[in-house]
Amino acid sequence: MKQIALYGKGGIGKSTTSANLSAALSGMNLSIMQIGCDPKRDSTRMLMQGRFIPTVMDLVRVRGEAGVSLSDVVFTGYNGIRCVEAGGPEPGVGCAGRGIIATFQLLEKFGALQGDVIVYDVLGDVVCGGFAMPMREGYAQEIYLVTSGELMSLYAANNICRAVQRLASRVKSKCRLAGVICNARGQPREEELITEFARRVNSTMVQYIPRDHIVQQAEVNQQTVIEFSPDSAQAGYYRSLAERVMENTWMTIPTPLEIDELESLAREFI
Amino acid sequence: MSSNPLPVNLSRLGGCTLTGAISVTSHVRDAVTIVHGPKGCSHHNVSLLHASWLDNDHAVLPVLVSTGLSETEVIFGGEEALRRAIAHAAGRDTRAIFVLSTCIVGTIGDDIEAVCSEEYGLPVIPVPTAGFLGGTFQDGMNNALIALAECAGPCRNTGGINIIGEMNLEYEVEENFAEVARLLSLAGLSVNLRFVHDIAYRQLYGIGAAQLNILRSPALIPVGEYLRDRFGTPFIPSFPHGLSDTLSFIGSAAEACGIDGKQAVGEERSRQAELVDGFKDLRHLHASFDPSLSGADEIRAAEELAHALDLSPGTDGHTLLLPVGPAVGTAGIRRMLHRWRRALHA
Repeated sequence: MKQIALYGKGGIGKSTTSANLSAALSGMNLSIMQIGCDPKRDSTRMLMQGRFIPTVMDLVRVRGEAGVSLSDVVFTGYNGIRCVEAGGPEPGVGCAGRGIIATFQLLEKFGALQGDVIVYDVLGDVVCGGFAMPMREGYAQEIYLVTSGELMSLYAANNICRAVQRLASRVKSKCRLAGVICNARGQPREEELITEFARRVNSTMVQYIPRDHIVQQAEVNQQTVIEFSPDSAQAGYYRSLAERVMENTWMTIPTPLEIDELESLAREFI
Repeated sequence: MSSNPLPVNLSRLGGCTLTGAISVTSHVRDAVTIVHGPKGCSHHNVSLLHASWLDNDHAVLPVLVSTGLSETEVIFGGEEALRRAIAHAAGRDTRAIFVLSTCIVGTIGDDIEAVCSEEYGLPVIPVPTAGFLGGTFQDGMNNALIALAECAGPCRNTGGINIIGEMNLEYEVEENFAEVARLLSLAGLSVNLRFVHDIAYRQLYGIGAAQLNILRSPALIPVGEYLRDRFGTPFIPSFPHGLSDTLSFIGSAAEACGIDGKQAVGEERSRQAELVDGFKDLRHLHASFDPSLSGADEIRAAEELAHALDLSPGTDGHTLLLPVGPAVGTAGIRRMLHRWRRALHA
């Protein structure tokens, strides 16, 4: 079983990329599970015909842990993909990170973590230990960074490199950086910039995904691009990503950049 | 992030902020103390209070209510659980509610002040006591005393003396209070309020009436300063430790209240001379003190007493380490002398 996690700045397109990746993987005759690890709970919507599925934390809140079973939290969406949303507290209260930890413990207890590939779609910044949970022992061993060429997005990606580096230094940790996915916003020389950034953090750019209006069209139709327009060029990019993810064996311990190094890199490609 | 289980700092002197605050608020007889946190935080403290109260023949259970936080409240926020606990406590026969925080609610950021400021029909007073922020037992006491002092309104100065911040968990709390009250009475002074030791909530209103505050220890100076700034009451920073300190304590208290304390000091001086005289059998024995378990004031008081007794420090192997207690007043010295006699003649 392959377990991968997508991390990146909020709003960069992690959920869109994750859902399309899951959809493309499912087309390779693989059993896929996607777990949304964000209180916003919208990771799996496009796999569920636009439906916000009940979250693990919602169910625990209402029924208590004892009243929740595996079939309550796993929903089958597009092409048999099993979808889970961790959920969490209302914005501004409680502790969302602890919610992620509790969700993982519950899924583990249910024996839910199985299949050919599990895709973890994780909240933008690794703000606390809870959001590093998917990187811990027994969960995702392959971390993909989703970034555009925008500096803020590179900052976030670089910070996640720090988290991976820290975790990778633990004796039993198998968590490694598997690559950088460029979800382009269409700025000039963006592909070159991300290629160079990936090289500097001791990794590689696994896929360049150009900006395309078809993503928005699929979204308003509450579908992934793979489902909405399987023959489009954009769907091809997601299928290519899926193939590279399955072939990828080059896992590294990242070397995060210093801030001034990162800024001068971004300046080079302006 | 270190998994090294060896503690680097073995100090256990700081203590828990929450316990410090509870040692104060639980002494308001007709109030309820709510501990906003997991059950264990209150259970541990109820046991501690119950045991120490029993030692002082005070056989009641402290009124402590826990909001009983579990992982669910930690994830979704604990404010609703607090609101429920306050409403529940408010429905009982109580005059006020004190709400104390814990480490975990400090971490998840529950807005305790906002919940306490809602309308419950009685005063609900928040005391910040999350210990992981670096506060000590003493900070918990000070925070609680200041929060309680804020309950008091302006009042007429009717005289008397407040005793501030007694160590309610110490074994000799009643003896120490009785001794200070006795010393004050020599100068014709009486106690207005034990702030806070076994009092009713309404008595807090009268804290500003006193003409002098006496702090249990200098660690309470922030509380003394708060009361001085608010009510204009001067303070003496500590209970007296040692022979001469006890005499000057009587003098300072009398002076602060505009009384001539000479006669009272004279009376106490003869009492002390008589006391020391009764321990002549200890003279010229070799003894010294273990400084690691005592404060500088206590060591100074013990050395002064040793000097008065002609005890010599002794440099050979026959030196006996004497116990140094936080002896308060002349009565405290008498107890310490008895312990010395037992140690030296053992």
